Amino acid sequence: MHEMSVALEVCRIAEARLAHEKLDRLVGVGVVVGDQAGIEPANLQFCLDTLLAQPPFRRATARIERCVGDTLRVDYLEVDE
Amino acid sequence: MTVRVIDVRESVMARNNEIAATVRQRVEAEGVLALNLVSSPGAGKTTLLERTLDALGDEMAIAVVTGDVQTQNDADRIARHTSALVQAVVTGGACHLDARQVDRALEAIDLAHTDLLVIENVGNLVCPAAWDLGEHAKIVLFSVTEGEDKPLKYPRMFREARGAVMTKIDLLPHLSFDLARAVGAMREVNPELEIFLTSATTGDGMDAWLGYLRREVARASTAHGALRG
Repeated sequence: MHEMSVALEVCRIAEARLAHEKLDRLVGVGVVVGDQAGIEPANLQFCLDTLLAQPPFRRATARIERCVGDTLRVDYLEVDE
Repeated sequence: MTVRVIDVRESVMARNNEIAATVRQRVEAEGVLALNLVSSPGAGKTTLLERTLDALGDEMAIAVVTGDVQTQNDADRIARHTSALVQAVVTGGACHLDARQVDRALEAIDLAHTDLLVIENVGNLVCPAAWDLGEHAKIVLFSVTEGEDKPLKYPRMFREARGAVMTKIDLLPHLSFDLARAVGAMREVNPELEIFLTSATTGDGMDAWLGYLRREVARASTAHGALRG
């Protein structure tokens, strides 16, 4: 139920990392979600798709990878150089 | 377009957990015990808090932060049982409190003159389990009007909790609720769970709950004194 909170935090992490790398074009973001993380992946995907379609992102895509456990992390960013 | 992959490997909860750590430092610096009350909606968090404030309000300073999706009804109810400021956090739709909200709420609380901080979380057995608020312990409430297998359906919450308060036990004669089965389900998920059987209406079992609070508050205060030398 808190997928939007999580999606907002994913976007905050992505924005901070882009700023740190002095890049402005995010292409994709990879997120790892454990089966005990309390997250519904389809719901998180919907929230991320919605947020990543808007500024400052420009239609970046989110890819969610499942794993066992309570892991919930931003794994990687794909950026356009 | 040249695409480069940047390895991030950052926990989504990292920022919240950083703020939670600062909340924990702030309360520990003043020897305050911080508890996070969690349950499904309607389990009786606010009523338990009202009775707790009535019973302990004269012997310890209790500060309360309440979280609700909408309205500050719970904060208004609790405020009638204490002269201390009750901080209401209206989440505006979010299904849990987060550490940032608690950190902000603490700005208005005089921690130097507080013994016990109770955070009444949003009624929800899923999301609040994932968010560290800087508390020392989560206390889960479980009413006898719910299903006995709730701990098995929501294991993370019962695993994260240090104490469980079964509420509304005065209703047992009117229900087919199997108390032994419910307690067994809690023990199956978390054998270490300290369990209290209570009725805020009749007062049954409240002494054990209040005794737990007195003991834990004294422990937090002693730990603080030892740190100060």
